[in-house]
Amino acid sequence: MTITTRRATLSGLASLGVIALLAGCGQAPEESGAGGGDAASDFTPCIVSDAGGFDDKSFNQASFEGITKAADSLGTEVTDVESETEDDYAPNITSLVDEGCDLIVSVGFALAEATKAAAEANPDTHFVMLDDNSIEAENVKPIIYDTAQAAFLAGYAAADTTETGTVGTFGGMQFPTVTIFMDGFADGVAYYNEQKGADVKVVGWDVDAQTGSFTGGFEQNDTAKQLATTLINQNADILLPVGGPIFISAIEAIRDSGKDVKMIGVDADLYETYPEGAEFFLTSILKQMSTGVEDVVTDAGNGEFDNAPYVGTLENEGVGIAPFHDFEDSVSETLQAELDEISAGIIDGSIEVTSPASPSAE
Amino acid sequence: MSTSTAVTPDATPVSATLESTEIRSWKATIALGVFVVVALLLFVVLGRDGATTFRLSSESDVVQLADWVLPARSTGITVTVLLALLTAVVAVLTVAGSRLSARLRRVALAVSIVAFTFLFLLAFLAWAAAGESIPVTGLLLGTVSLSAPLIFGALGGVISERVGVVNVAIEGQLLAGAFCAALVASITGNPFAGLIAAMVAGVLVSFVLAAFSIKYLVDQVIVGVVLNVLVLGLTSFLYSTVLSQDTQNLNTAPRFPRFPIPVLSDIPIVGPVLFRQTLIVYLMYIAVIAVYIGLFHTKWGLRLRAVGEHPQAADTVGIRVNPTRFWNVSLAGAVAGLGGAYFTLDSVSSFGKDMTAGAGFIALAAVIFGRWNPIRATFAALLFGFATNLQNVLGAIGSPVPSEFMLMLPYVVTVLAVAGLVGYARGPAASGKPYIKS
Repeated sequence: MTITTRRATLSGLASLGVIALLAGCGQAPEESGAGGGDAASDFTPCIVSDAGGFDDKSFNQASFEGITKAADSLGTEVTDVESETEDDYAPNITSLVDEGCDLIVSVGFALAEATKAAAEANPDTHFVMLDDNSIEAENVKPIIYDTAQAAFLAGYAAADTTETGTVGTFGGMQFPTVTIFMDGFADGVAYYNEQKGADVKVVGWDVDAQTGSFTGGFEQNDTAKQLATTLINQNADILLPVGGPIFISAIEAIRDSGKDVKMIGVDADLYETYPEGAEFFLTSILKQMSTGVEDVVTDAGNGEFDNAPYVGTLENEGVGIAPFHDFEDSVSETLQAELDEISAGIIDGSIEVTSPASPSAE
Repeated sequence: MSTSTAVTPDATPVSATLESTEIRSWKATIALGVFVVVALLLFVVLGRDGATTFRLSSESDVVQLADWVLPARSTGITVTVLLALLTAVVAVLTVAGSRLSARLRRVALAVSIVAFTFLFLLAFLAWAAAGESIPVTGLLLGTVSLSAPLIFGALGGVISERVGVVNVAIEGQLLAGAFCAALVASITGNPFAGLIAAMVAGVLVSFVLAAFSIKYLVDQVIVGVVLNVLVLGLTSFLYSTVLSQDTQNLNTAPRFPRFPIPVLSDIPIVGPVLFRQTLIVYLMYIAVIAVYIGLFHTKWGLRLRAVGEHPQAADTVGIRVNPTRFWNVSLAGAVAGLGGAYFTLDSVSSFGKDMTAGAGFIALAAVIFGRWNPIRATFAALLFGFATNLQNVLGAIGSPVPSEFMLMLPYVVTVLAVAGLVGYARGPAASGKPYIKS
């Protein structure tokens, strides 16, 4: 029963998508002509998720919160569509265009290709592209984050806190949005070594060769756990797992090892959002998706849309690191002051943080 | 191994068997020759300097073995020479082997190939980790852990296919098992209840497979594929709508504690790897042996295989074909469900969307690679687990191979093993064909 319904829905959606595509081409100019001149309350912001869905406790969820806040302040409603699989991206975007959305937020670089196609076909609809800077079009505004800057601070903090002299990192898949964390982290450790004459080692990622440890997916399963165990066996006592829920597997690996191993979270302050594992988090590398999306959508709602990329940096607080929480007392006393100093240095440009995956590198 | 060949009814005439063995052994020689060339290129031409440390014990072991340090370059050269010699031995066996008895030749071949594999692996590890250290216990412990669900899944596949129903739904059975184990164990606070729930979940998936394929004669592969998609959709939906609402009470399962077996767990290397495990892994050992003995040495197994090989003949002697199929497919579901429980009751204590991530399909490959034999399927699963964890270890110590290629390693090994070493594999004759009593 469920199968047939599912199938029917899918094929229905697919044919809707085709119709929408055809209809969208013909209707777009007229519709947006009317929309552009209207008051802000008629503004319809829309959002489409990637395969993770809006309950992923990660960037889909954060973006959704951002657009909801913006819509509340503009006094309008959000239209949202969740993608189940990669095949849904293009049809979902097209159906949103057809529903008369003024602004469509595409969450995640996986949607870049579908967004680009839709943006070219509908030059009068505005798009916001999260985590991808590859589209150059009048009607597409990228929101990207230079997370390497924040990861640099986390790397420095890790190098200062480690007792074994080895820290480790691993990722879900080798995507630029993942490796940028690992680059910044490794560079932060290297900077610490340079400043303090120390010899802290990073396992799991080689910045120069751009190779390292990946689980090959973003599932919280045994593969991720064994990879974390491997890094712990290599003597790492601080882990940075980058990629959705794989950090949960890493927590289990730490529990099983019986060793004193700490973790660094990514995206949100995991000490707050994952209280079950709070005792392991030294800090988190923050990527403020919610505020970025909120600002851009609010501006667009007020008729101030442009296609200049929004880049989250330490300077505009789009990225940052979380407090040490439980480890406040155990980290070295001067660490916070040193981090503030480095942070200032990165902002004024005296310390350069580069990553091949960084938005500024493109 | 020899017992199983003796018991399995083999339809091919003797001369054909001999012929095929001869063809296969040439293939072995060529395959080994290719590996010798690879060894020559990697270990000698592209040889790396530095010594590799093999750590044989961890800090917690009672008996401490000293680290084993091998210089990468000279090890590589020595091993390459030994590999060439072994290849020559295999070639000689192929040419002059007809003078030996078939059995002796088979044993000699098997010993050479095992020795070849071991030496190649040793030199590869020494080469890839030059200047670093490899935790041998950790590498093997991870292997067992990554293989456990695959082994359960493969056992389920073997039972089901031996009785004549193709089981593509292993992935669905694992996922359903993982989901129900997490949910029930979280609610009751008792991992044993979770274990039973996992088995029930596997059986339920099997019921659908059995009902459609046996009663309604639907194509078994298609039912299996659809079931996988159904279970994935259902568990993802319930995860989003139910489990995420109250993670604390619904998706925080108590895990089985590790239970070291006295004395056995103190054996160096083997002890920490095999006998410092949880209940589920011990159950796995029992299951492998039980399925093997059951299939080949009991009345139940004989009937089961008869139904899978030649249902009409089985029917003639009074075995009820379809009920036998139905209940054994259900049993297969229960076994695969246990594998699902491994994900949430042993490895990670909470369920996540699509957390099996294709393990069921690898288990299916292990069934075929293991030629529908539980012991061989277990080794196939272990090979995949080993390759996966080797990839982890090499990635972590910074090997010279790009990450994407490293991630392919387990799959490449599986494909090579299935295509290169197994070659043509004959499944149970009536597997996949519904039985219609005429």
